[in-house]
Amino acid sequence: LSLFRVIRRQRLAYLLILPTALVMAGIVFFPLIRGVIISFTDMNQYNMGSKFIAPAYRFVGLRNYIRVLSSSQFWDIFGQTAIWTVTNVFFHFTIGLALALLLNRRLRGRALYRMLLLIPWAVPTYISAFSWRWLFNSKYGFFNLALKTLGLGPVSWLSHEVWAMVAVIATNVWLGFPFMMVVLLGGLQSIPKEMYEASEVDGCGRIRQFATITLPLLKPVAMTATLLGIIWTFNMFNVIYLVTEGGPHHQTDILATFAFIEAFHQWRFGMATTYAVIILSILLSFSFFYIRALKGTEEIY
Amino acid sequence: MNQEETVTLDGLIEKFMAENPEIEIQAQVVPFSDAQNKFKTVAQAGDAPDVFRAEIAWTPEFAELGFLTPLDEYVSSQDLQDYLPSALRYNQYKGRLWGIPQVTDCLALLYNKRMLRQAGAEPPVTMEQLIRVARKLTNPGEGQFGFFWRGDSYWLTPFIWAYGGSLIDEDDGQIHINDPGSVDALEFYIALRDEYGVVPPEVDFANDYENMLVGFKTGKYAMIFNGPWATADILSGEEFADPANLGVTRIPQGPAGYGSPVGGHNYVITSSCQDVLTAYKFIHFLNRAEHQALLATENNLLPTRRSAYDLPQVADNRIIQGFRYQLEVANNRPVIPEGGLLFVDFTPNLQAALNGKKTPQEALDATAQAWGQLLER
Repeated sequence: LSLFRVIRRQRLAYLLILPTALVMAGIVFFPLIRGVIISFTDMNQYNMGSKFIAPAYRFVGLRNYIRVLSSSQFWDIFGQTAIWTVTNVFFHFTIGLALALLLNRRLRGRALYRMLLLIPWAVPTYISAFSWRWLFNSKYGFFNLALKTLGLGPVSWLSHEVWAMVAVIATNVWLGFPFMMVVLLGGLQSIPKEMYEASEVDGCGRIRQFATITLPLLKPVAMTATLLGIIWTFNMFNVIYLVTEGGPHHQTDILATFAFIEAFHQWRFGMATTYAVIILSILLSFSFFYIRALKGTEEIY
Repeated sequence: MNQEETVTLDGLIEKFMAENPEIEIQAQVVPFSDAQNKFKTVAQAGDAPDVFRAEIAWTPEFAELGFLTPLDEYVSSQDLQDYLPSALRYNQYKGRLWGIPQVTDCLALLYNKRMLRQAGAEPPVTMEQLIRVARKLTNPGEGQFGFFWRGDSYWLTPFIWAYGGSLIDEDDGQIHINDPGSVDALEFYIALRDEYGVVPPEVDFANDYENMLVGFKTGKYAMIFNGPWATADILSGEEFADPANLGVTRIPQGPAGYGSPVGGHNYVITSSCQDVLTAYKFIHFLNRAEHQALLATENNLLPTRRSAYDLPQVADNRIIQGFRYQLEVANNRPVIPEGGLLFVDFTPNLQAALNGKKTPQEALDATAQAWGQLLER
């Protein structure tokens, strides 16, 4: 069966998706392919060409990739990105799940709690990021003033290589758990009540119910939410840029913020797209294995 | 450009249109942080505005990119004489003149007169005196320190020049940031904390600009470096309820002389401009001495014309005159297209040195290496 005949047979269906396909091609695939091509050139603001100067950039093969991948700083920052992503998503998930379980029970004022817990998500990122930056201020910040009354500190929260990472992660955990909470709560509410009733009849305890009903049935939702969470956190630019600017001395930089400094400050498009392609490849291959690894254990029920 | 500057400028534009009814000016205010990229985007497509206010480091960059019109034949020789050389310098690139200086600035030594007087000290003139005076004013138990420095490399540059180092030689492209003089400067910077104990022991790079201002305004830090842009905020502090308590003078001299980085903004005319003569008439109008004086006194900016400093309202302004005294011995940053990006690589290395992760020599070698990559283009 040739492709052509498939298309002919389902002409209407293809006609209906044609506009979407065209838009996707225009705004996703074309720039993506162009980006990949530019990553093999030395394009920057001086040779990209303008109304006044003809373009003069050249293909340089794998030079940009070799330059990025052979720098030890890239691998340091890749490690920081991994720590950043794993820690954040771990806390997003555990805090989000715990709160979702609490909110899933019948308790008084549930709607109010739910609303209050959404606040971190609802406040614009830059406002909360700047507030946290001030909370971590070594002289006038809440944390050091609190430590002082306990006779401790002061801690250079945002300027110490370890504490700075703790600080940005804490900020992002606070910002990110409501999303997990809402998604997991949705997942919990879609689990049929009959399951729990049936298991009670069979004499199941609470913990057993959680392990054999709640967790497995929550898995499809949890899997999608964590995958999204990992991708977002991996690329989370705002929080780090606004709280520490990647400092002290790049200790809190992740690939997204590092690439910004390296590439965008001077419109080095060749390098910028190289970083973009590398980040994209990391996330694509991760998603591929993540989905495959979890698929194997699906469909138990 | 902040809100008050915009108001002052809008007034000047109204005045210009009233004087020249045949010319219509449309002004657009773009937040400073977006201005550089936004301008590049429109200029690249050939849709740039006729006139633009460019930060000093952007001027050679835009000139290199072919976005600007040279103004050599428009600027009169009297004007060239009148402009402060350090401010004019930022418009000269590759042997041509690409703009006229709108405002200038530099870092100067700001001090709390009451605190110095009570300690029986005069403002320091040399780096040795800086240590001596700052020691007298330091009382760590009370959280009081004689001096305050930042983990931002711009604040280190006065020491670099004072100790005989420099950044980049723009003529031959040689990098001097890891020269012995520059290393001495960084060693001295760190010694101010570790050896002499006259700056606070704990660092907070993300908040140190705010902390410096709060500490200065509340009498915790007796001396700081800052520019004219900060004086309005400083005068709102409790220590400066009487503005006369704020002293502004030169940053102390090191073994190699004075040092302070000159900054500021220029008016430039873009290469898309169809009528350069009219555009120049407009920026020349904005830049008249009396208009510079207006911007200076209302917005704490430094005029770029010598004649503006002689106008009574500026001549009587003690703070502006203090900065002018510093400007006489201030240093130009390298006038190269990459000039604005030097601090991007410099600051993280300074922080590594302040945190003891790199020695001063290692930190400055790493900076030199990064600058080498930056310049190779």
